[in-house]
Amino acid sequence: MAEDLSHAITVKIVTPDGVVYDHHAHLLIVNAIDGELGIMKDHEPIIAPLRIAEVRVQRVDGLDHENHIAVNGGFMEFSNNVATIVADSAERQRTIDLSRAQLAKERAEKAIAAAEAKHDKDTARRAQVALQRAVNRIHVKQQ
Amino acid sequence: MAGSSIDIKRRIASTKSTRQITKAMQMVSGAKLNRIQQRATDYQIYADKVRSIVTHLANAQLLAQAGEVGNVTPNPLAAELGINLSELMVQRPVKKTGYLVITSDRGLVGGYNSTILKGMLDMIRQDHDPKGSDYAIMAVGGVGADFFKTNNMNLIYEYRGISDIPTFDEIREILSTAVTMYDNGVFDELYVCYNHHINSLSSAFRVEKMLPINDIEAEEDDTAAPVTTAYITDPSLPVVLATILPQFAESLIFGAILDAKTAEHASSMTAMKSASDNADDLISSLTTQLNRARQAQITTEITEIVGGAAALE
Repeated sequence: MAEDLSHAITVKIVTPDGVVYDHHAHLLIVNAIDGELGIMKDHEPIIAPLRIAEVRVQRVDGLDHENHIAVNGGFMEFSNNVATIVADSAERQRTIDLSRAQLAKERAEKAIAAAEAKHDKDTARRAQVALQRAVNRIHVKQQ
Repeated sequence: MAGSSIDIKRRIASTKSTRQITKAMQMVSGAKLNRIQQRATDYQIYADKVRSIVTHLANAQLLAQAGEVGNVTPNPLAAELGINLSELMVQRPVKKTGYLVITSDRGLVGGYNSTILKGMLDMIRQDHDPKGSDYAIMAVGGVGADFFKTNNMNLIYEYRGISDIPTFDEIREILSTAVTMYDNGVFDELYVCYNHHINSLSSAFRVEKMLPINDIEAEEDDTAAPVTTAYITDPSLPVVLATILPQFAESLIFGAILDAKTAEHASSMTAMKSASDNADDLISSLTTQLNRARQAQITTEITEIVGGAAALE
């Protein structure tokens, strides 16, 4: 299929475990701290921290071809029509292990309950982040 | 004579089985080394990206508002993570120094652990009060933890059982503990001490300052290619910095741990290789001894027979 690259940007997702995603796209939608952010070709160079949320990538070969990636925070950098998302972990929809995510969610819920019983704010906060990660993964998988 | 040749045979057999084990361990370490080197290459892409963005932002920040780094409200995300703002960049008066010492969990790694521990001892003797009031040690790996405990050095944190190929998820606990402790003022600067992997034959003890982050400008000179793009920062420069700096600090520490693990596997491989080589040498010298003993026995027997036959004539 001939891909029309004249309006394309490159989307790369980089984690400590290597590059997990590298494709051309028409539109990239990320969740920045103060709301959703859509990136298309010739956007101004921008750096934005991201929430623990889903990243959507509309691919060049059709409007319905969308990729969903669960990204755990990090930030996005865009310049020269290359968007790089740098996060400490990211999983594509098809590689998410649903049962593992659900286990992680249960574990995080238990950890929150335990930490709150002990009034351990730091641990509770960390568990809260873990819970968000798990919920995000489940959400991305179940679309 | 017969007794000793049986002894020699036994020793040869036992050396052979030892050699089998050390050979196998050498190959296992070799495989792990290969895998971790692949992992390190993957990680490098990430580390470079984080570093280049942080460098760029830090320079922009310095230009825009020199010195005002500390006076911004913490952003909600960073606060959620329990990590405070760009304090990570501010040098506080140093009352206490933190050392994150990375050793292995098990032995059979040659001089790997002793190099690190000796380096640590020398450094602490030189720079610190022997009572241990002005430093604190965080140990990653069982050998280091045990050592500091038996020597009554101020061990405040230990982590055992890192896997052979560490993943970022595993290390996260160490990272957030270190950064939180720094934030809470448990120590005012953090050094990471580990064996740097040079090649599969050699490694060197290395101490790197991780917190506060202050080597950004210094290092930019080497990386050449100045970042010329002026970025928009969303929502604002300080908020972005506050999110990225902890990530940068964590990536530095993770890089050090990866490096240390690489050195550990390399050192274990070398140690096992020299053990196998020694076993080979031992086997060949024992075999020579065995042949000599056997030959001597045969010679004696022949002499006896010839002597006996001569007596009959």
